[in-house]
Amino acid sequence: MIRRLWPLALITFREGTRNRAFYGISLIALVLMGASFFISGLIMRDVGKAAVDMALSTVSFAGLLLVLFVSIDLMAKDLDKRTIYMVLARPISRRQYIVGKFFGISLLIAVTVLLLSVFAAISISIIRWANPDYFSRFFWGPVMLSEVFIALSLILLSALSFLFASVVSTSFLTLVLTIISYLIGQSLTSVKALVEAPQASGITISPVTLKLVQAAYYLFPNLSLFDIKIYAAHGLAIPSSFIVWTLLYGLVYIILSITVAAHLFAKKEFP
Amino acid sequence: MRQVLRSAFLLAVLIVLHVIILQRAATESKRLPAVRESGILIPVPVLIISSLEYKGFVSDLLFIKALIFRGSSYERKDVPRITPDEWQWFNGILIASTTLDPYFIDPYYLANAHMTWEAGMVRETNELLEKGTTYRDWDWLLPFYAGFNSFFFLHDNEKAVELLSKSSERPGPREQLLSLAARLAYTDKKTENAIIFLAAILEKTEDRELRIQYMTRIHALQARLLLEKGVASYKKKHGRYPTVLQDLVKTGIITEIPKDPYGGNFTVDPQGRVESSSDFQLMIRQR
Repeated sequence: MIRRLWPLALITFREGTRNRAFYGISLIALVLMGASFFISGLIMRDVGKAAVDMALSTVSFAGLLLVLFVSIDLMAKDLDKRTIYMVLARPISRRQYIVGKFFGISLLIAVTVLLLSVFAAISISIIRWANPDYFSRFFWGPVMLSEVFIALSLILLSALSFLFASVVSTSFLTLVLTIISYLIGQSLTSVKALVEAPQASGITISPVTLKLVQAAYYLFPNLSLFDIKIYAAHGLAIPSSFIVWTLLYGLVYIILSITVAAHLFAKKEFP
Repeated sequence: MRQVLRSAFLLAVLIVLHVIILQRAATESKRLPAVRESGILIPVPVLIISSLEYKGFVSDLLFIKALIFRGSSYERKDVPRITPDEWQWFNGILIASTTLDPYFIDPYYLANAHMTWEAGMVRETNELLEKGTTYRDWDWLLPFYAGFNSFFFLHDNEKAVELLSKSSERPGPREQLLSLAARLAYTDKKTENAIIFLAAILEKTEDRELRIQYMTRIHALQARLLLEKGVASYKKKHGRYPTVLQDLVKTGIITEIPKDPYGGNFTVDPQGRVESSSDFQLMIRQR
């Protein structure tokens, strides 16, 4: 199984690194890291916190761009350009094609996040070297954990984009659906908290809206679970039970999305 | 060759045109109806939802916005330099910043530095500081600041002692905090206690502008303390309070009346209380 999937995964990974958007994203990441020097210079006390905020936000933002513009492109290009027929003519099932492709893209995301994390570590270290007094509550552990969570949430989003790509026919629609899922996934927890206790902010919520939000909560991925940047920035303790359950949640959602995607893709009729 | 020259000439003309037009457009844009940025306050729930996974970063930006507003107000010539509405906005921005990241110390620090003496928003400041005290449960500074505000502005010694005790339970200068709490609880020397409090705050302040402000406050209080002691010893000698402070100089108790660094004049009232016409904070607002 792995022997069959590995070549496809590797090709997908290589194709991704050759994508021009990949270089653009790296450039954006570098510019944002540069901006973190400027921003942390404006902070009076919590310089370390601001440096970590900026570095981790850059990692996740650049990663998001990668998922939206490179990974969707990689998946959808075969469909858009009809090169899918050539791939499917080989001794590989449609399900294997989806899984192999997904492994390649996951590898691309993991390597990119690793690379961005190295840049993040460099920018944090430089700011720390210049302001050693403001890093008393800084630890590398939570920062790295946050980066692992970012990578996982991006892979999850990518798995979801696979699901969309196997249903709709154009890469543009996949992109739109993925962006919508990202926005919903990131804000679901806050929206749920808001509609479940509307009196706290002085608004009224209809029962239908409440039910809709509660349904959406189980349907869309809860991406805000993976956002532990604030805890990492302040060096706060993160319970290991939370880490385990969140990792598990991410894995289950990914496997679920890819299984459904593979199934739908196998049944899909190509024009 | 000619082609290259022509292109270079065209490019030079276009660059010059670009600079001139940009300047002109920027000047013309000033004629647009003015929009006071400080009027805009996004509701907090909307802000929480729309900042997605960048809450910490947005919190930093909001703090920087408040900081820049405060800094740029030094260039204004209006009296008062910052209107009550703008202070409300300032408070709102800091509330938003600390809602997105309640562990971030800078908004609390900024609120304490500016919203008490200048804006007179002591209760609002203490609300913020209490929020910070709850979240930053390792930090002794925030309850300490709130303690000073309770003691000095709100005249609530009981609350101040409670806050100082809370502060002393956290890693920090425990002994110093406890002795200050004891002083507040058992002595009525308001000015003296305020100086000790402010000196401790000054010790923990690094920002140059803020240090100057705290030092001026300490000098003003030291001047008042000197006069209060003079009035007390006058009372001891003559059995009544002096009618004017000049009496202290005439009787040789002090050599001269110290100057109020805020530009006001010290006076003594029939109950022997020494006050300044600057009220110490009023002058900062008008300066």
